[in-house]
Amino acid sequence: MQKTIIRLEHIFKTYGSGDIQVNALSDVNLTIEAGEYCAIMGPSGSGKSTAMNVIGCLDRPTSGAYFLDGLDVSTIADGELAKIRNRNLGFVFQQFHLLPQLSALENVMLPMVYAGVPNTERKERAAEALTRVGLANRMGNRPNQLSGGQQQRVAIARAIVNHPVVLLADEPTGALDSHTTQEVMNIFAELNASGITVVMVTHEPEVARLTRRVVWFRDGQVVESHLAPTELGHMLAA
Amino acid sequence: MDILESINMAVKTLTANKTRSTLTMLGIIIGNASVIMMVGVGQGAQRYASQQFESLGPNVLFIIPGSEKAQNRSVDRPRSLTLEDAKAIASQVPTVSAVAPQLQSQLLVTYRNKKADTSITGITPDFTVVRDFNVARGRFITDLDVQRRNRVVALGSDLAKKLFDGADPIGQEIRIRNISFQVVAVMQAKGAFLGSNQDDVALIPLTTMASRLVGRTSPYGTSISFINVNARDEASINAAQFQITNLLRRRHKIVNENDFTIRNQKDALEIVGNVTGALTLMLAAIAGISLFVGGIGIMNIMLVSVRERTQEIGLRKAIGAAPNDILTQFMIEAIILSAIGGLIGTTIGVGGITLVGAVTPLKAGVSVPAILIAVGVSGGIGLFFGVFPARQAAKLDPIVALRSA
Ligand SMILES: Nc1ncnc2c1ncn2[C@@H]1O[C@H](COP(=O)(O)OP(=O)(O)O)[C@@H](O)[C@H]1O
Ligand SMILES: [Mg+2]
Repeated sequence: MQKTIIRLEHIFKTYGSGDIQVNALSDVNLTIEAGEYCAIMGPSGSGKSTAMNVIGCLDRPTSGAYFLDGLDVSTIADGELAKIRNRNLGFVFQQFHLLPQLSALENVMLPMVYAGVPNTERKERAAEALTRVGLANRMGNRPNQLSGGQQQRVAIARAIVNHPVVLLADEPTGALDSHTTQEVMNIFAELNASGITVVMVTHEPEVARLTRRVVWFRDGQVVESHLAPTELGHMLAA
Repeated sequence: MDILESINMAVKTLTANKTRSTLTMLGIIIGNASVIMMVGVGQGAQRYASQQFESLGPNVLFIIPGSEKAQNRSVDRPRSLTLEDAKAIASQVPTVSAVAPQLQSQLLVTYRNKKADTSITGITPDFTVVRDFNVARGRFITDLDVQRRNRVVALGSDLAKKLFDGADPIGQEIRIRNISFQVVAVMQAKGAFLGSNQDDVALIPLTTMASRLVGRTSPYGTSISFINVNARDEASINAAQFQITNLLRRRHKIVNENDFTIRNQKDALEIVGNVTGALTLMLAAIAGISLFVGGIGIMNIMLVSVRERTQEIGLRKAIGAAPNDILTQFMIEAIILSAIGGLIGTTIGVGGITLVGAVTPLKAGVSVPAILIAVGVSGGIGLFFGVFPARQAAKLDPIVALRSA
């Protein structure tokens, strides 16, 4: 049985004011079921990142309703939203965003710090998550002692350590070479296979082809919402 | 998120950026050290001055020329007190045990080719009693010397050394303002009183001083600088003060304001307390300003730090930090910096005070309340000046912060 995890209804996001308003999102409707593995594509400036930020509860829509796991999050206060980001969502960014003064293990422990997990359990679970992304032997290293691919794997470990229902990634392979892109995509596939819903923004067709559904954005709107990765050629040609 | 975790995190951040942390603390360190040193020195001065007056004993009275009001003006003292007044007090006031009038002037003393600019003090034999100042060698100035205006002198130990260089001065002739005096005594060493060296003096009969050296004679008799009086005991201080006042008013035919002032040890201590208390307060205020400036320094660097760390703040928020968590984190960083700065500053301040105590007579006390206040205030300053930057951090929008790459 399928369960809707993300539902965007008539979402608008408007930047600026007066004469110079930009509709980064204009009437976006999108539904993603639990367990999906989904890529968001589209030209630069089409609103992909804006949509991801709304889905990730990092940003609020100007209007419209957003249901995350059945809960209307557009009306929730900042402090509560922080809790939702902490427990229900995981983020992976193009630029990794690891804290340079902390070791890999400590970086992964960070979300649990804010979740109030006791210290010993934090260490165990962080070690587990790092093992899961193949970095069991790199736990004590600082970010600057790790390669780009390794840093992104630490970031993925950090994103999954609180067992989120949805993993969100905005161009996670944008800063990686093709070999490490493959490694990182393997991890995403495994995580999805274990039941986590994965949504990622990418502009690389090779990356999108590894997912199971493509959502296509243009001018702040969803123009194709259930494109099979095999049909990507049509859109790219258009 | 619990507080221990916040502290742990703050310590990590602060140690990761040692230079900045040290610079931030510098203002607080300097502020704290100066508060503790200034207050310590001020209190040391207070204690020093008090001890000096206490060492005179509780029975002393000082009679000085000029009305109570005139004491606060820096005008020339009137010549209203005379040697005859002192004699009258000695013979007519029953509660008095010793009376020592003094006449003082800074004059040139020579012995052969040696010269010294010294405090010449005209005295009477009671001087040794009132000032507890004793002869080491020779014999002290007698009533007969005073009566006959003899040209005899008792040298302070330092002056004797200066002029005679170890040779025996007794019986030698020295010259004061080119008038020759015979040395009859060398005094025991006495140390400094309120910073002036009591051993660099030449004591001569008061009458000799008045008639031959400074010519301070008034229509009423031989004018003098002041009179030291010992009351018979501590209980008779007030009676003595009252009787002397009456006697002098009668002698000076006063109807209104006295032309003299009598102070007891308590008065003197009070005056010293007022002066040095004001000094301490002023020093503390100056030091307090530097502590305040240190606080502003913390705020400045914290603001820079918030700007530099926007991405970190954005990331923390993205993975679940609530605005309050960020606020707490930055507040704790500010408090840790100022508290550690406060402790270092205190250590330096205490060290400085110890040094001052070792090289000067100001036995500057390490004031525990000053330390507690300084450390508490610097913690409070961290709190106060940390709030603004911490709120700036807590308010940051996570996406804007993350985008600032
Ligand atoms: N903070 C902002 N202020 C103003 N305009 C913005 C802001 N963020 C995004 N935009 C605009 O919104 C549109 C969508 O941007 P974005 O979602 O970043 O596109 P994409 O990720 O698809 O490249 C663009 O036209 C962009 O210029
Ligand atoms: Mg984008």
